[in-house]
Amino acid sequence: MRFTPTELTGPELDLQAEVREFLAAELPPGTHEPCLGMAADHDREFSAKMAARGWVGMALPSRWGGSDRTAVQRFIVVEEMLRWGAPVGHHWVADRQTGNVILKFGTDEQRERFLPPICRGELGFSIGMSEPDSGSDLASVTTRAERAGDGWVVNGTKIWTSNAHMNDWFICLLRTAPMEDGNKHAGLSQFLIDLRSPGLEISPIPFLDGSHHFNEVTFHDVFVPDANVVGQPGMGWHQNTTEMAYERGGPDRWLSPFSTVEQLLREAAGTQMEGAVSDLFGELAARWWGIRNLSLSVARLIDEGEAPSVESALVKEMGTRYEQEVVEKLVQLIDEEYSPESESLFERLLAQCVVTFPGNTIRGGTIEILRSVASKGLQGLPA
Amino acid sequence: MTVRTAPEPVVVDELITETADRLFGELCTHEAVQAAEEAGGAPDIWDAFCETGFDLIAVPEEAGGSGGTLAEAIEVLRLVGYHSAPIPAAENGILGGWLLAEAGLERPDGLVTVVPPRAAAGDWSGASCSADGTVESGPAETVSGAAGGANCSAHIADDGTAQLRGSALRVPWARSAELIVCVCESDGQPAVIAVPASQCEITPLPNMAGEPRDTVSFDGATGVAAPVPDGVDAEALAQRGALSRVALMAGAIEKMCQLTVSYTNERVQFGRPVARFQAVQQHLVWAAQDAALVRMAAEVAAREATRGEASFEIAAAKLIANQAAARATKACHQAHGAMGMTQEYPLHHFSRRLWSWRKEYGSDAHWAGVLGTMATGVGADGLYPLITSGTSALG
Ligand SMILES: Cc1cc2nc3c(=O)[nH]c(=O)nc-3n(C[C@H](O)[C@H](O)[C@H](O)COP(=O)(O)OP(=O)(O)OC[C@H]3O[C@@H](n4cnc5c(N)ncnc54)[C@H](O)[C@@H]3O)c2cc1C
Repeated sequence: MRFTPTELTGPELDLQAEVREFLAAELPPGTHEPCLGMAADHDREFSAKMAARGWVGMALPSRWGGSDRTAVQRFIVVEEMLRWGAPVGHHWVADRQTGNVILKFGTDEQRERFLPPICRGELGFSIGMSEPDSGSDLASVTTRAERAGDGWVVNGTKIWTSNAHMNDWFICLLRTAPMEDGNKHAGLSQFLIDLRSPGLEISPIPFLDGSHHFNEVTFHDVFVPDANVVGQPGMGWHQNTTEMAYERGGPDRWLSPFSTVEQLLREAAGTQMEGAVSDLFGELAARWWGIRNLSLSVARLIDEGEAPSVESALVKEMGTRYEQEVVEKLVQLIDEEYSPESESLFERLLAQCVVTFPGNTIRGGTIEILRSVASKGLQGLPA
Repeated sequence: MTVRTAPEPVVVDELITETADRLFGELCTHEAVQAAEEAGGAPDIWDAFCETGFDLIAVPEEAGGSGGTLAEAIEVLRLVGYHSAPIPAAENGILGGWLLAEAGLERPDGLVTVVPPRAAAGDWSGASCSADGTVESGPAETVSGAAGGANCSAHIADDGTAQLRGSALRVPWARSAELIVCVCESDGQPAVIAVPASQCEITPLPNMAGEPRDTVSFDGATGVAAPVPDGVDAEALAQRGALSRVALMAGAIEKMCQLTVSYTNERVQFGRPVARFQAVQQHLVWAAQDAALVRMAAEVAAREATRGEASFEIAAAKLIANQAAARATKACHQAHGAMGMTQEYPLHHFSRRLWSWRKEYGSDAHWAGVLGTMATGVGADGLYPLITSGTSALG
């Protein structure tokens, strides 16, 4: 394991400046209510504007509507969007992972059908991994797809599905062969399912603050054509593991509280700042600088053709814990009581961080599971 | 169309890494490091090190140095930390060698060391002195500072002869040094004073790792003073010193983690290596993160310091290293059980150095304060650009 320092090239610095200009014009600082990282508002219009710049699905090949850009270029766009608190929710999942999965494992027909609209910022994807009895032990999923004519019939339940009520498509890990003793990773397959399919029912599971984020998705004999199977039936576990690697180690795993900290600094400007407050800004800037350099080096490794899965797991585990630590430091610093409806934007954001950030170390694989992955890598064992 | 250009890359010659790693690997055995601690130094290791010329990397050849970049010198220091080499590489090279070269003062054959500025006390002045023939005011008694300190004054004559009073604390390896160097201000201009150690009274004092951090009494000593260019002052010395400690710490944390991975894979309890237990894996993973973080911080800070101003990167790197040292030593000790608490097992060579280096050249609070001034100075809109562009965003 080695994180090699890297820095932005001239063209990459140009891109950074371009994204900053775009954001300053679209969402002038101090005038919009920032989102907290990737749990961002869904704004199809904003996604379309980003796509018009070539910033959605940007690392996909131009043949399929992408911009042939690199992982580092995507890193630059994503970090600026997240630190600004931009409403990137609509295209988030497709841009980060589903587009890559379809490119890597899909057929040309699937690439033609899905990738250009993903790159236009049109398609919103949900992720169908977790089930009521399968969380960390994902390979134990029981929602099944059975052969029926030129397709499959799906029955079962997916749970904790973020934003299924707003999205268009669902990429699901399903069981296509009964669980074998001793090899539960076999017999799984990935499917692309239209969230408006007949027999597919989406029920809200209110989030702890009352907002609508989670859903339960139930399948009652939902028909999925063969054309929507991704890759080889039975190879779902391998494909899904590859997909999870795209989820890890990026700016979405360490930038979620940034807009809150920035807003505190905005509101504190012009006031007499206590030493402890000033010191905290200094410490947070230092820590973010360090983690960003690690995360950027992972993106560079990907562009060099490596598969830095241990490095990504280390960064994600550290980054998400850091996000919670930032919030704890803010909580300790602030004397006032804050409310999700405080007049101060900073207080509103902080209240939202306190209530929703426990999920940051759970979503996309808990930090406990990430530690197992990372520690096997440190010891040179197969993950 | 490209408008911006990236700065020239800073490359470290791989041969330097390989050679230093091999040299220290052979010489700095557990026994040798232990013996050096008892003897207060390891002249044989130092001599072998000097034969490679690595002791004077980044000191210009005109000033008797070996040439090379600051980044290369920092890479050597990382390996000093990795092997717990008991040698004053930083003091003699990028600190003392640098100050003498800037001052145009001759370097002796023997060892050079440097009086650390009183960074921890928030006092950037080193020895205060005045060139007008009067002895500068200021108490001449010893004042303690966690990062070392100096409280001395000098009387500088027109010919550059300096008469010193007072004493300096926590001067690394002073007992083995031939020349002791400090920065000061003379008539508002930065200056360097070099004093032969033979003129001083030196009282040995160890840091927590048993490395010499001696008290130097200057009363009655005569040295030479020379002006140095603007920017070669106590603040610049504090930054270079902090960078040297970050490099040493990066190496020590990495080695400590490697020891911990091996030990926990060999130690069997409940019928399996303890590394199979998730509670132990957590220690391994957290320590590995800290090792990666500090090495990254050291390398990026060294890169920027090689190019020029790196006040943000160095401050950030030292704060990160201090905090990481606290966490990683705790995790690695815990994973070792009682074995890590013995002198016989080498973990302590690294953990005790980390606890000491954490306090040298700037505590957590000191650098958080410096960084806080920068962060609040750039304001809300400048905060992220500071994180992405560092010192160059300070304008
Ligand atoms: C905000 C949010 C959004 C989400 N969005 C989606 C989504 O869109 N689609 C989707 O499919 N899922 C989603 N999830 C679900 C998420 O993937 C799961 O919560 C996660 O995989 C953990 O599963 P679980 O909640 O069932 O916890 P469990 O697996 O039941 O774990 C409970 C506790 O036990 C620990 N544990 C379990 N097994 C082990 C082990 N082997 N070793 C050590 N500790 C262990 C866990 O770390 C955890 O602390 C989301 C979750 C959150 C919080």
